[in-house]
Amino acid sequence: MKTIFNALLFCLLMVPTIFMAQSTVSGTVTDEANAMPLPGVNVIIKGTSRGTSTDFDGNYTLEINQGETIVVSYLGYTTQEIVYNRQSRVDVALVEDAAQLDEVVLIGYGSTTKQDATGAVEKVGDEEFNRGAIVAPQQLIAGKAAGVRITSGGGAAGEGGEIRIRGGASLSATNNPLIVIDGLPIDQRGGSQGSRNALNAINPADIEDFIVLKDASATAIYGSRASNGVILITTKKGTTNQPLQFEYSLQASTRRITNKVDVLNASQYKQLAEDNGVDPATFGNSDTDWQDKIYTTGIGAIHNITASKGYENFNFRVNFNHVSQEGPLLGDLYERNGFNTSFVHRFLDNDLKLTLVAKGIQDEYNYADGGAIGQAVAFDPTQSVFDENGDYTQLGAPLAPANPIFTLENTNDRQTIKRVISNFNVDYRFWFLKDLKFNLNAGIDYAENDGYRFGPANPNNPDAFAFRGFSDGLNRNTALDFFFNYKKNVESINTTLDITAGHAFQEFYIQSNIDNASGPNITIDTDINRNALESYFARASFDIADKYLISASFRRDGSSRFSDDNRWGSFPGVSLGWKVMNEDFMQDSFFSNLKVRAGWGVTGQQEIGQNYGYLGLYTPSRNNSAFIQFGTDVNGEPIFIQTLRPEGFDENLKWEETTQYNVALDFGLFNNRLTGTVDAYYRETEDLLATVPVPAGSNLTDLITTNVGAITSKGIEFSLNGIIAQKDDFGWDTNFNVTFQEQEITKLSLSDDPNFFIQTGGISGGVGNNIQIWKPGYDPSTFFVFRQVYDNDGNPIEGAYVDVNGDNQITEADRQAYKKATPDAFIGFTNNFRYKSLDLNFTFRGSFGNYIYNNVASDRGNLNAIVGQPGYNANAHSSVLDTNFTGQNLFSDAYIQRADFVRLDNISLGYTLPFEKVKLRASLTATNLFVITEYDGLDPEIGNGIENNFYPRTRDVVLGLNFTF
Amino acid sequence: MMNNYINNRAMMLRTIKSLLFIITLAFFMQSCEDRLDLQPEDERLTADSAFEDPAAYEQFLAKIYAGISLSGQQGPAGAPDLAGLDEGFSNYLRLYWKMQELTTDEAIIGWNDGTIQDLHGQVWTSGNEFIRTMYTRLMYQVTLCNEFLRQTTDDKLDSRGVEASLRTEIQTYRAEARFMRALTYWHAMDLFANPPFVTEDDPTGAFLPEQIQRADLFDFIETELLDILDDMVAPRQNEYGRADRAAAQMVLAKIYLNAEVYTGASRYADVITQINNIIGEGYTIPQIPYYHSFLADNDSNGAQDEVIFTIPFDGLRTQAFGGMTFLVHAPVGGTMDPADFGINGGWFGVRTTPTFVDQFSLDDFDPAVATSAIGPLSDWGLIGSGTPNGWDGPDIPMAEIDTNVYQGYITFIDGEMKFRFNNDWSLNYGLDPSSTNPNALSQDGPNIPVMAGTYKVTLDLNTLIYSIDSVDGRELLYTDGQNKDIEEVGPFNQGYAVAKYRNVDVDGNPGSDASGDHTDIDFPMFRLADAYLMYAEAVLRGGGGSTSTAVDYINEIRQRAYGNTGGNISESDLTLDFIIDERSRELFFEAHRRTDLIRFGEFSDQGIWQWKGNVPQGTTTDSFRDLMPIPATDLGINTNLTQNPGY
Repeated sequence: MKTIFNALLFCLLMVPTIFMAQSTVSGTVTDEANAMPLPGVNVIIKGTSRGTSTDFDGNYTLEINQGETIVVSYLGYTTQEIVYNRQSRVDVALVEDAAQLDEVVLIGYGSTTKQDATGAVEKVGDEEFNRGAIVAPQQLIAGKAAGVRITSGGGAAGEGGEIRIRGGASLSATNNPLIVIDGLPIDQRGGSQGSRNALNAINPADIEDFIVLKDASATAIYGSRASNGVILITTKKGTTNQPLQFEYSLQASTRRITNKVDVLNASQYKQLAEDNGVDPATFGNSDTDWQDKIYTTGIGAIHNITASKGYENFNFRVNFNHVSQEGPLLGDLYERNGFNTSFVHRFLDNDLKLTLVAKGIQDEYNYADGGAIGQAVAFDPTQSVFDENGDYTQLGAPLAPANPIFTLENTNDRQTIKRVISNFNVDYRFWFLKDLKFNLNAGIDYAENDGYRFGPANPNNPDAFAFRGFSDGLNRNTALDFFFNYKKNVESINTTLDITAGHAFQEFYIQSNIDNASGPNITIDTDINRNALESYFARASFDIADKYLISASFRRDGSSRFSDDNRWGSFPGVSLGWKVMNEDFMQDSFFSNLKVRAGWGVTGQQEIGQNYGYLGLYTPSRNNSAFIQFGTDVNGEPIFIQTLRPEGFDENLKWEETTQYNVALDFGLFNNRLTGTVDAYYRETEDLLATVPVPAGSNLTDLITTNVGAITSKGIEFSLNGIIAQKDDFGWDTNFNVTFQEQEITKLSLSDDPNFFIQTGGISGGVGNNIQIWKPGYDPSTFFVFRQVYDNDGNPIEGAYVDVNGDNQITEADRQAYKKATPDAFIGFTNNFRYKSLDLNFTFRGSFGNYIYNNVASDRGNLNAIVGQPGYNANAHSSVLDTNFTGQNLFSDAYIQRADFVRLDNISLGYTLPFEKVKLRASLTATNLFVITEYDGLDPEIGNGIENNFYPRTRDVVLGLNFTF
Repeated sequence: MMNNYINNRAMMLRTIKSLLFIITLAFFMQSCEDRLDLQPEDERLTADSAFEDPAAYEQFLAKIYAGISLSGQQGPAGAPDLAGLDEGFSNYLRLYWKMQELTTDEAIIGWNDGTIQDLHGQVWTSGNEFIRTMYTRLMYQVTLCNEFLRQTTDDKLDSRGVEASLRTEIQTYRAEARFMRALTYWHAMDLFANPPFVTEDDPTGAFLPEQIQRADLFDFIETELLDILDDMVAPRQNEYGRADRAAAQMVLAKIYLNAEVYTGASRYADVITQINNIIGEGYTIPQIPYYHSFLADNDSNGAQDEVIFTIPFDGLRTQAFGGMTFLVHAPVGGTMDPADFGINGGWFGVRTTPTFVDQFSLDDFDPAVATSAIGPLSDWGLIGSGTPNGWDGPDIPMAEIDTNVYQGYITFIDGEMKFRFNNDWSLNYGLDPSSTNPNALSQDGPNIPVMAGTYKVTLDLNTLIYSIDSVDGRELLYTDGQNKDIEEVGPFNQGYAVAKYRNVDVDGNPGSDASGDHTDIDFPMFRLADAYLMYAEAVLRGGGGSTSTAVDYINEIRQRAYGNTGGNISESDLTLDFIIDERSRELFFEAHRRTDLIRFGEFSDQGIWQWKGNVPQGTTTDSFRDLMPIPATDLGINTNLTQNPGY
């Protein structure tokens, strides 16, 4: 840290001052469409860094020399250039640019414009975000960007969602993209512990935009963490010369589940149980739908209070955010209090810009015990919640499920997470060379968590102990990076150069402490993990004649996770673009924009979940219960010895490397009212970090994460934006995106044996059972099943499977790879309507070619679920009525079901009331209104494709009010 | 001039600042690179820092022993050694037991865990995860031992400056580590014949171990064990739980006894030699009830006098969901009362086949003759509808075996009975309804219900307590609510249950884990009865030794089983057929059966029991199943390996 402060201090010390005398020009900038003044418009002098921006009334004043060119630019408008010829006033009327081709997009350690971007870069701005009471930032962009798939983990309070850009590039290393918030890369493992979604630390209402870097030519500048794509999140800042503005918004919501697991009701249960020898005396008198008992209507509220103001050289934005979200599982609660601030100060004629962003967040979770979901499915429906004595009804056998209401009411599981994310940025333009900039970024992301869990003793075992556990920990992520940027238009060769070079260092420190006790079993343990990354990076971009774009980047990363010999990796990227539209022959073309792009890049992966994988370590046994007796003491009492275990390791552990090719076409028609992009990619990951079996006898473990395989994926992404109507009173725009993708393991072992496979995808029903397979030639989420044989009526015959290898026996060898959980294609479809002060927008999401294994049905859809339990009877899944299975047929492909779906994710109706001093917007939003699917389980959208005690997604109805004054 | 000066000065300052700035950046970047060398900061240690603590050597040795009883570094689960299968399932003892028992007539399991039922069905493939994990566990155990040997070379000890007294001890540790490796390689040789072969001379990391042939592995194990005998602690002199010389000799005797299977050449004379070495060291068959050997206090109730190598467990300190926790819980279910087993509930899994039950059939047993053999006939006898003579009598006489203690053998039919003196009702005992002890008696008390079968009945007039026991005390079966035949594999009530391991002491008090999960029973891996039976078998197979000594040994075992000499055999009874059955009766559920059946040629293409071959009545299977397959996973990774024939 000391070095970081040294460097910071230095930057502040070298504040130079410079003044020159010139003549003055002023003017007003307006919107051509309505002649309204535009505040905050950039007015600079071309080829220099001198400039200003318009005030609230659209006015500006500028020192200028004769013959210099004034460049007037504003987001969403076409830039204008005016040569200064001693006019007293230069008034400008800007024309709105439908396609916003000049829109600035961040690309990592710098920025470019949309029309100069050569990589697969997609921006989703706040006006495109999903509406509603959104707690997890990633939900803002679900369905909005091609190639980006966001799958929520269920309906729990504060639940987040898995983000996959182009499907992820790894097997055992992380498939999470790198997320960079205002220049600070966040720990890919999440950044805090004890949270359902570490990204909840970012207030969705505070986000300006998401930039998704998809292909390797765009991400290679992030080197070793870029294989799964990069998401750059920019939070909102104040704007220059802006009057003090307050904003208050409230979103009040209700959340209810939309579907339940299909289990037998009391009469079905009684009949089936009695037919199979259960003594009717064991039945209760009730007809309890246990799932109804455990779910409730969750109430939620999100408050945002924001103040912002901009002066000529200084602006700030301060936001306070409170979130409370309940249920739907009884007792589930998430609360957040967040304080988000940003300060921007410009010095020295805008040559020096200091930006400080600081957020303080307190997250609190009250975790309802998810075990109650499975208990509610299994619990005897003839029993009531309470028995005649008013006690919880229990089944009395030690292995029986506990009464789910008992579980929910008696478990107390809380976590509090306090987190600070802060970033300080210095952007300095050198006085002696105006085209050279220096940028320094110092950031910290610090989180502390503290929690406890009290769980009741198994109510069905009088000797069982209650559980009490305390856990706390801290995560610290410190980053310091700086770069020099030189940007110049060299007119002699008609080329704009943009060259960046820099250095970055980042360290992650994670500590977690547990203190658990269950009766005499006590486990106290502290884990500390530290890892660091050091990087050198550079990028050069050339824009030749405003037609040909060349960009090349290079990053060299060192990671503490690898030995000296393998520590450093190099990650190059090159991309080319051809602005066809700017060619002479396109003058009278049908197109209003046409650009061809191509890119290649190599990225890496080092997020393997362990820090010292290349070192041979020794671990002592962690609690009192893993000791071994060596003899007895003088009193005849046993002497117990703690054990010391050598750990497996791979000293040759190194980067996983992904090479990606991308070709794309950007086009615009009808004066860019219809724009679109087609991106095609091919990606190959080598030295794939996979957790695979070691050759027996070669290592001190059985499975190791090592560089062993290869995986390829390819895809086409297509997105289309249309402005269908653009009238004063009526507007309609639409966005459609579709992604086709395919992923295949090509190598999984050093021996190249094509028949080698690894089972994966653990399921319930028996211990250690897996339903998926990793095998060369298949998607990593492929299922591994027996082919069910059916009778003439189409009913499955229990235990009858296709004898694939023809040895007249049904054995393990007859299991086949069959279908997969990842979709072949997914879509997002958004429409925004505006009529006078009313607006309506909705978003559909869909997914095709994905399958789900219904583990609840396979585990519980049989008679043994009722009668075959050790010492008690339990409920069965309703599929038993169709299959008549006696026992579990866990590996039958009858449980693999098509799970294509189209979901109306979000629909929102809003009305804006423009009062004199206050602007009020009221809205009504509903999420997850309906799903069209063939899948008959709980939900067709489950990340790993295995439905098992899934926390049901909710349907939310949200009333939103937004005051601006 | 002044302006110039100021400008110059300003310029100079700027230049200095810029230079300083660049130097700072360079310095900063340099310091970053050093920060990429990170080492663990929690309880994990690098090898060099771990062995700074002299206790580390003993702790590492403890890990090797724990390799058999525990599944990881946190009890009962957490930080597992192996990650390829559920941690509880990956335990060495649990897997070895399954390989040796579930594949035979002694045990069947009803669970639905992956391919577990394929073991009893003898339809396993090279993809069977239980076989795979056994294989992995064995090779893991070998690598643990190898690492210990690497870390305790003279060079290493020199470099760490280990002091002399500890060095002497470490030599013993090294011998034990080599013993443990030989033991595991024996298991690997027995199950997989030709496993990968690694020693302390091999590295740790990315290499492909070579495969060893069974006969070569036999030579390695034999050489190793002979080589370490002098370094091992003398029999019965080592700390409880650690191996001594007799344990090493026992493994030698085991490989010699099975040498014909392993190498094609018999070594029965060597069996006799090694067993004689062991027997001379003072082990005894304690004359306490057989079942005491499998109770929570079997390390102190006398049973320990017999034990040559034990795997200790403790309900609080040595916890795992494999090992004895599995062996006690899994066979309990149905109407069995968990409290009788000192546990919180059964796992409704393991039962036995009728083939095993029939090992205890008493076809040639004459109760009257047996009663006469155990003591002088008395005037006390048994009367009732359950007795052969009915309520009309005369009484079935009992022998007096001690003062006021009478015992007799009888074949009951379903009915009732009472105790009576001298064929007269003036002195008679039935149940005592006022007592909490269900076996208490009272004058003129209610009739005692009895079930059909041949039993040993004991009447103790000192305490007024009676008991009805199996004739053979080793017949620890539970039949209430159980079907003898196994019509379905899944339900627990199909097949008799086995009540051998119970987590209670001789007085019926439960073990130390009050939650009833984990048990105190120590697993007797090698015990004297096994050695006696091996001696007798080696004699019969022409290894020399003495037939009459063999018969004496067998009768010592059977006297414990019968509680008297009623079950003794003579030389003419001593045949190989008798030995294989007697081994099953004496050693069932102790992880010997598969090896024994293969040695007798009755495992695969001979020998039928229910559900063998995956059919209800059982069928023979192909003889290649005498060997387990090399797991497909390892074949896929290690190109040096060749699959065993037939798979």
